[in-house]
This record gives sequence, C-alpha cells and structure tokens, in this order.
Amino acid sequence: MISRKNIVAILLGIELILNAAALNFVAYSRYVTNNLDGHIFSLFIIVIAAAEAAVGLAIVIRFFQIKETIHIDEATQLRN
Amino acid sequence: MFIEFLFISSAAVTIACAIGVLVVKNIMHSCVFLLGSLMGIAGLYATLGADFVAVTQIMVYVGGVVILMLFAVMLTGGKDFISRAQNLLGLPPSMGSKWTYGVGLLVGLVFLLTNIQLIKGISQSLPTNEINNGFPSTVTQIGHLLIKEHVLAFEISSVLLLGALVGAAIIARPRKQN
Amino acid sequence: MNQTVVSYLSQYEFYDHILALFGNNQGVLAFVIYAVLALVIVGMCATIGGLGTYAERKISADLQARLGPNRVGPYGLLQMLADGVKMMTKEDIMPFSADKALFYLAPLLCLTGVFATLAVLPFSSGFIMADLNVGIFYLVAISSLVGLGVFLGGYASNSKWSMLGGMRGASQIISYEIPVTISILAIVLLSGGMGFGTIVGSQGGLPHQWFMFHNPFAFLAFFVYGVGALAETNRAPFDLPEAESELVSGYHTEYTGMRFGFFALAEYIEVFVVCGVAAALFLGGYNVPGISIDILPMQAVQFVIFMTKTLLLYYVVIWIRWTLPRLRVDQLMSVCWKYLTPMAILNLIGCATWMVVFNGKSIAELILGSH
Repeated sequence: MISRKNIVAILLGIELILNAAALNFVAYSRYVTNNLDGHIFSLFIIVIAAAEAAVGLAIVIRFFQIKETIHIDEATQLRN
Repeated sequence: MFIEFLFISSAAVTIACAIGVLVVKNIMHSCVFLLGSLMGIAGLYATLGADFVAVTQIMVYVGGVVILMLFAVMLTGGKDFISRAQNLLGLPPSMGSKWTYGVGLLVGLVFLLTNIQLIKGISQSLPTNEINNGFPSTVTQIGHLLIKEHVLAFEISSVLLLGALVGAAIIARPRKQN
Repeated sequence: MNQTVVSYLSQYEFYDHILALFGNNQGVLAFVIYAVLALVIVGMCATIGGLGTYAERKISADLQARLGPNRVGPYGLLQMLADGVKMMTKEDIMPFSADKALFYLAPLLCLTGVFATLAVLPFSSGFIMADLNVGIFYLVAISSLVGLGVFLGGYASNSKWSMLGGMRGASQIISYEIPVTISILAIVLLSGGMGFGTIVGSQGGLPHQWFMFHNPFAFLAFFVYGVGALAETNRAPFDLPEAESELVSGYHTEYTGMRFGFFALAEYIEVFVVCGVAAALFLGGYNVPGISIDILPMQAVQFVIFMTKTLLLYYVVIWIRWTLPRLRVDQLMSVCWKYLTPMAILNLIGCATWMVVFNGKSIAELILGSH
C-alpha cells in the first residue's frame, strides 16, 4: 500500500508478491495434501520470477539510457 | 520446540524486512532488506520441510536476483533518486488516505480468519522427530515429479529462461551513438 | 534422510546419560550439542585461517628462496598471533560520507556466508554437523552471500575506486559460480545424491575408487572446479579486486583493523572450505583405504585423512598464487565464459552419457572387473 516512484523499487515489490504466493503453495502441500505439487509450483514460481527480474531490469537500464532518470512518471509514451 | 523457535524467528525476520523494503528511503537499503526478507522466507520453507525449495530460493534469489537489482541500481544512478510528489499527509497522492489503509487492514483480517477456519478441518501434519528422522527429504521425489508428471512445464521453463537470457542481453546492450 | 551429529551420537550409551541430565528434553540437548560443536568448528577454522596466513608467508618464502617469518616464535609460528593483535588494535576508521549501515554489514555478510558453509563439510562419517540431503547445493547457495558482501563493501565505502573494485569482484564471483555449479552437478550425477554423506559414501579409500578417476569427464571436472573455485574466492591469479588494493584501491580499501580482518579471514576460510569440498567430491573425502570398521576411533582416522587431503590442496592453492601472474579483468571474464563454461557443460553431458553407456561403472571397474 505504500507506493514508490522508483522503478527498481517497484520490481522489489513484485519479488515480494511472488514470494508470498510461493510460500502459500508450499504451506498448502505440507498441511493439506500428501504429495509435492506445491513444491513443484513454488520452484516454477522462483524460476519465472528470476527470468522476469532479469528482463525487467534490462528494460530499466534501457529506460535510463534514454530518459536519464528512473522515475515512473517519466514512462508516459509508447514510443520515442 | 526447536521448530517453533525457528518458525517464529524466520517469520519475524521476513515481516520486519518486508516492511523495511517498503518504508526505507534509500533504495540500496531496500535491496538489502529484500535480501533479509528472502532469507527469512527460505527459513520458513525449511520449517515446512521443503529443503530443496529452500535452498533453491537462496541460490536463485540471493545469488542472482538481489545482486542483479544492486547492479541495476548502480548502473542507473538510483541511489541519488529523489521522489518528487507528496500530498498533505507526506504520502504520494496516488495512495490515499487513512480510510484506504483502515479498510484494507479490515479486509485482510477477515480474509485471514476465514482461511484459518476453512483449513482447520483438513490440515494434517507430517511425522517429525527432532533427533532421528527430521523431515523426510524431498529431493528425489521432486526429481521424479519433474521428469514424470510435470515434464512439459519443465521443458517450457527452459525455453523461457533461454528467451529471458537472450532478451535481457539484447535489450540492455550498449548502442552505437549516431 | 537427513542425518546429523546428534543422530549419530544417539547411538551410544553416554548419550542417554547426558539426556537424563537435561531432563529428557531432546530438543534442548540437540541445541546444546549443535552450539558446542559449532563453536568448536568455528574456532578450528578460524585457527586454520590464521595458520593460513602464516603458511602463506612461509611457503611463499620457500618458493622465493628466502626465509619468511622466523623471529616471533619457534619457526615464526607466533607470527599469526602478532598479526592478529596488530589488526585488532588498529583504529577503526569510517569515511565521513560512507553508508554506515552497509559499511558495518558487508564484512559480516562475507563472514556469515563462509561460516554457514562449515555446517555441511564432511569432516568424518559421524561428525558432519548436518548431513543435509541438499548439502552441496546449500554450500554453493550460501557461498553467494560472499559476493554480496564484496559488492556492498565496495559500495558502502563511497569512493569510486572501491565501487569499481566491488563491482568487478561481485561480477567475477557470480560469473564463476556457473562452471563450479555445473562441475558439481556432474559429480552429483555420478553419486546419485546431493548430500555429502551420499557423495563421499559412494567413493572409496584407494585412488582408483575416487570420483576423479571415475571417468575422463570427471577428471576434467576436477580441474574446471579447481580453477572456478579459485576465481570465486578472489584468490591466486584471479585476485584483481584485491590486487587493486595493492596497486590502487579495491573493495576493502576503506576498511581498517578488525573489519579488514573479517574480509581477510573470510577469504582464507573460504579457501579451506573450497579445498574441503574438492577433497570430498573428487578425492574420496574421509574414506580410509582398506579398513571399514565402525568404531569411534575410526572417526578420528577419517578426520585426519580428510584434513590431510584438504591441507594438501590448500598447499597447492598457495603454490599457484605465488607462481602465476595475475589475469586482467577481461581475460578473467573470457576464461570463464568462453572456456570454463563450455568445458563444464561438456563434462556434464559426458558424465551423463558415460553413466548410461557403461551403467555407472568407473574406468577401474571396467578394466579390472568389478570387485
């Protein structure tokens, strides 16, 4: 609920969200079922979060090369 | 008793560091608090008996994502970043008033209590013995599941990672200035 | 199954006597045993770190045809105490515009990352503190905290040279994690498990039973692992982030006294851990050639054998440092990405193919017939 304007801070928040969901899946597989489907799903969440962090940060770096700032309000145009 | 102590300390570290990520002004400190939060979650995985997931979490997030975030902050001059917009409460004007936070907290509490009531009936616990057994290890079972039942997701995630690797390298490569 | 020191000790009768002392509370007793053993192991490894500084000076002196420290004690053995006292009594300076919290945190991260790996080192078959089923994976994961500590140390000093040294050091560490991890994966294929008990247990005491001589790909994997691990610990020909501190500056320029001592100690203990892992994975670990009786004095023999192999590798590491010239940073990166990583992937594929084609038999077993 606390908003930040720095794009990297937004990516940090996204990592927190994904981790919360993954924790939920593992807890489900421990307390409700007897198999390990929750663990598998958590592993895939970790993989996807890492890939998304990598591409997201590449986009942030490109954004900085163009706009010289990483304030989210500067991201107003779809091209140029 | 050991397990409860581990759980409470991991949970306390996770929540404190997660609040730290949001509240702290300096973005480098935010990244270090994220590191603490991810280690806390790895500890929580360990108390749930998910050893392979816990170690994967440490390896991928601590060894990869957090260092990547730190590099990105360094390369984009983020530590000198100043946030500009503020309203009367000192908050950015897009995230609202005391009502927003109050109603959000109330909804969260209701949701939590409902979930606890729902799960109570069907939850069970694995046999644990602090000295001789510990938790049974999940590594071989996860290996079997990944190859037999979830092999499609496994292969697709490898293609996804290849795409992310190549894409990130292409997007962020230095351009010729013309 | 995750075995621990406590489960090993619970086989013996004196365990029940001690348990009665604690009011039959197994959790508290387990915690106390872990705490005592952790202190013992940390103390031993800190001593080894100190001895490492002394050994380095003596061995480098030997290689350079001079004497080395020989005044402070018999053969100069107390030199490490003198160095330690000097380091502790130096003034603790912090730059005015440095980032206080991260400045304090960075050496602690390095040290934590290294000490946490001591929990899974296979000192002997009963005294692995925690024989996790994901042992080697955990070790590699926790070692990446050291890279984080290097980066934060460089950043927190708030000087351009430190920042550059820190970024180069961190990028070197994360780049070399890849060939190291893939080489370790090849060994995991050969042994069928990631726990150190499994890996060392599937080797034997004699050299033809070691994983290094199991197949030619594992032999290459040993050298890929060796080179990669040397680079990860910022050691030997790959010490550009540190050497900048000898020439210009580096990530631990602004650190004085005991804080710098933390960085240096972390590096020496990390070299010990890396040598221990190489001895456990490739050279047969604590296995005693020939005898296989399971009595308590056997543990001491296994411990001695493990330490001998590790310290021999430590000697080789020090030897390499004082023989080879330093690599530039672009040569360093190209060695990793263009040479070590393809070789590591080739080793992994080769080991997997060997396991399928020859049913997991080593070269010695194929030639001599399986004993």
